[in-house]
Amino acid sequence: MGIAAALLDDGLPAGRRGWLGRIDARAKVLGLLFILVIATLVTTLVPLALCVGAAWALALFGGIDIRRVALALLAVPAFTLALAVPASFNVVTEGAPLVVLCHLGGGHWGPWRVPEFLTVTDRGLFVASRFALRSAACVSLASVLAAATRPQDLFKGLRGLGVPAAFVMVAAMMTRYLDLLVRCAEEIHLAKLSRSLGGVSVRREQAWAAASMGELYRRSRTLADSVAEAMVSRGYTGEVHTLRQGRWSWRDGAFVAGCLAFGAGLLALG
Amino acid sequence: MHIPDGYLGPQTYVTAFGVMAPVWAWASHKVRTTLRLRQVPLMALGAAFTFVVMMFNVPVPGGTTGHAVGAVLVAILLGPWAAVVAVSVALAVQALLFGDGGITAFGANCLNMAVIMPFTGWWTYRLIAGRSPAASKRRWVAAALGGYVGLNAAALSAAFMFGIQPALAHDAAGRALYCPFGLHIALPAMAIEHLLLFGVVEAVVTGLVVAYLSKSEPSLLECALAPSPAPGGRPLWKKLALGVAALVLLTPLGLMIPAKLGAGDAWGEWGGDRLTELAGYLPAGFGKVAALWHAPMPDYAPRGAEEAALPVLSGWYILSGALGVLAVAGLVWIARRWLSGKETDGIAS
Amino acid sequence: MDKVFDFRGVSFAYPGREPSLRDATFDVGEGERLAVLGANGSGKSTLLHLMDGLYFAQSGEVRAFGQRLTPEAVERPPFGPLFRKRAGFLFQNSDAQLFCPSVEEELAFGPLQMGWKEEEILRRVGDTLGLLGIAHLRDRPPHGLSSGEKKKVALASLLILSPVVLLLDEPTAGLDPRSQGMLLELLDDLHGRGGLTLVTATHDLELLPHIADRVLVLGEDHRIAADLPTERALGDTDLLLSVNLIHAHRHRHGAMVHSHPHQHTRTHDHAHGEGKDHLH
Ligand SMILES: Nc1ncnc2c1ncn2[C@@H]1O[C@H](COP(=O)(O)OP(=O)(O)O)[C@@H](O)[C@H]1O
Ligand SMILES: [Mg+2]
Repeated sequence: MGIAAALLDDGLPAGRRGWLGRIDARAKVLGLLFILVIATLVTTLVPLALCVGAAWALALFGGIDIRRVALALLAVPAFTLALAVPASFNVVTEGAPLVVLCHLGGGHWGPWRVPEFLTVTDRGLFVASRFALRSAACVSLASVLAAATRPQDLFKGLRGLGVPAAFVMVAAMMTRYLDLLVRCAEEIHLAKLSRSLGGVSVRREQAWAAASMGELYRRSRTLADSVAEAMVSRGYTGEVHTLRQGRWSWRDGAFVAGCLAFGAGLLALG
Repeated sequence: MHIPDGYLGPQTYVTAFGVMAPVWAWASHKVRTTLRLRQVPLMALGAAFTFVVMMFNVPVPGGTTGHAVGAVLVAILLGPWAAVVAVSVALAVQALLFGDGGITAFGANCLNMAVIMPFTGWWTYRLIAGRSPAASKRRWVAAALGGYVGLNAAALSAAFMFGIQPALAHDAAGRALYCPFGLHIALPAMAIEHLLLFGVVEAVVTGLVVAYLSKSEPSLLECALAPSPAPGGRPLWKKLALGVAALVLLTPLGLMIPAKLGAGDAWGEWGGDRLTELAGYLPAGFGKVAALWHAPMPDYAPRGAEEAALPVLSGWYILSGALGVLAVAGLVWIARRWLSGKETDGIAS
Repeated sequence: MDKVFDFRGVSFAYPGREPSLRDATFDVGEGERLAVLGANGSGKSTLLHLMDGLYFAQSGEVRAFGQRLTPEAVERPPFGPLFRKRAGFLFQNSDAQLFCPSVEEELAFGPLQMGWKEEEILRRVGDTLGLLGIAHLRDRPPHGLSSGEKKKVALASLLILSPVVLLLDEPTAGLDPRSQGMLLELLDDLHGRGGLTLVTATHDLELLPHIADRVLVLGEDHRIAADLPTERALGDTDLLLSVNLIHAHRHRHGAMVHSHPHQHTRTHDHAHGEGKDHLH
């Protein structure tokens, strides 16, 4: 539960967040999402590895807090790798056997036919590494974008790129209250915990979780009503207006150009 | 259930965005006209609530824990169209700020968790709950079943999206480009996990939260946002029947369009020969498995039918779709009968 | 026009509940400092919501700046936007009031709704933050601010529109003494410049002399129990007792039990025959 609070509570001004942090959010969204899409299109391993490398380079030399991306850069690809391993086996991907893992004995298991041996196949190995590498590339790029852009700037940037104002406002407001709701949930939960003695059965625990959620919903509704009143009180009539964007600097332009060039290069590599 | 980036090919994720675009437009129109000045904060807090529900670890017997998605709960509390918006926003923030669920897969995730899940769940809930008062037992049993059905529908759709990847997108050597697991693995894996574990968690959460609210603040269950079918308006089951009939009839389109375009195969369940012929590729281990499938209706069609022409296949699709729908409808009807019987008993005694 | 608000026999009930305000009749003149005093649940917040055109009288009528407040009137230009600009409402819950992703956008929200020019808005944001001494918070997200800072930002988001009335719902609740003092000083300052009408809801008797010259006392029956100058209200122990703002406090001094009106906000001392010292 601490995750939401940790990720969202970032009081650093934009100027103190390294050069990547200072790039306009629109430029970052545009540039990094372009590379991300390219990463879902290429078919060979080299451009995918280059994507991962680029994300790491941006994370290391972009002046962003490396601790915030380390988890995404290491843990998530590891998870995907674990998921990709079975894809290298002959039961998933047919191919010439490279390594024989064990004797399965053939026959049938329910509707599936069981092969004689469990093997790692050449095609399977390739499919699995491409799958893992692609996931790693995408996750790394997305987490660099998230770590290098404060939520409020990210939402402003999306607005600047033409995402409807109402949608952006809902997303921004949701993020703003997320931390409050999480703390509220913890409070409710602690209050319940402090009233319990000894062990708790699964049923009791389920009922608690549900009561906490129900209570949280009640509070969310009250808060939503108050927010609506506060908005109306300051002149809101149903149209969402937001501040326009600042100007693009040459750096923002250069960043987007760099991303486009890099992406095009990846496509050329295949 | 959150599909990450890199699992789906562009054919799938672009299609999902294409489906979502009009749905988002219609949902925001509905929300704007019904909620007016309250729409932004209600949707924002609804999304934040969904997010927090997804973070709650709920224990299940056997020592494991799981978390709910909460989309059916939100649909029951705020109405299904509002749930489309709130869950979509929650998924957008998860994808953009927390790396949970992909950015390119955002449309697909929304289709599963912000459309299929709240609507199937909410329909189930409304059908079983009927016009029972907010404080009745029937409400929360309906909610639990709604959660179970909704989550499994969403999981089925996600499994389907995974499973068609090897058939849909592969390189010249026939090697899968994205998710390498075909339907024969994706469907059972997701089905077992969700029918046995996550579906139960979803049912427990949806049912218990509705039970809690119906005791402590029933007015929140009777809100104008989730309208009960208006008297005089078309009854819900008729709407539902129309929707399902349209879906069943439209299904063959999914067969015909890719066949006509010569592109990949939208329904990776065809027999191996047909697929090889169509796309020049035998999906990983699929040919063997398809031939060995002993279920009464392999590939939703009796043996031999897969060799038949497209119109015949379409016919089989409609039939098997209709049978599936009838089976679900029968279950819902039995649940309704059983519950309303209990209800009247309770009142009589 | 010198009447800012004019209530005539106003009642209001939340759906399906007993009325939270009954038959309220009073008016508020321009430049006045009025306190709405009452125990928790007496209807203070409800009253302020009615003044701000967020709720509407179910019987009787509410006038603001001479115009009757109805759902249509507060939406229709020219009165609607003008009314929203002139009346600022500081909510009891700062978190509800600060709904934007950053302090700058929070301040810009009102002016953007009014259709001001962007350069003008950005200039005014800087000026207003400077006035409250919180220019350094401009880029910060509102969560993570201290409760004193939140109150100030919320106040800034109202002041940027140059309102002529401020409705303050328990403005000092939950603030530490220092922030409380700064807030009171600031409100005093603003009022001293002339033209600003202040309406403050509170149950804090100690606060009263700092923020109001006149007090509207709400009873627990949700009716106006009294409408009188501040010193007289504070001196009227029977009145304060009857609306449950002070309570007859029974306690034991040695062997003797006695009871007397008690205001928790002040220490008091009194002597007993037997002369046993005690502290409250
Ligand atoms: N949103 C609401 N829905 C229903 N009842 C409410 C609501 N807000 C306040 N009330 C009730 O109205 C009465 C007056 O409340 P309020 O104006 O908030 O009092 P105060 O601000 O003086 O504490 C209370 O009895 C309270 O329970
Ligand atoms: Mg109040």
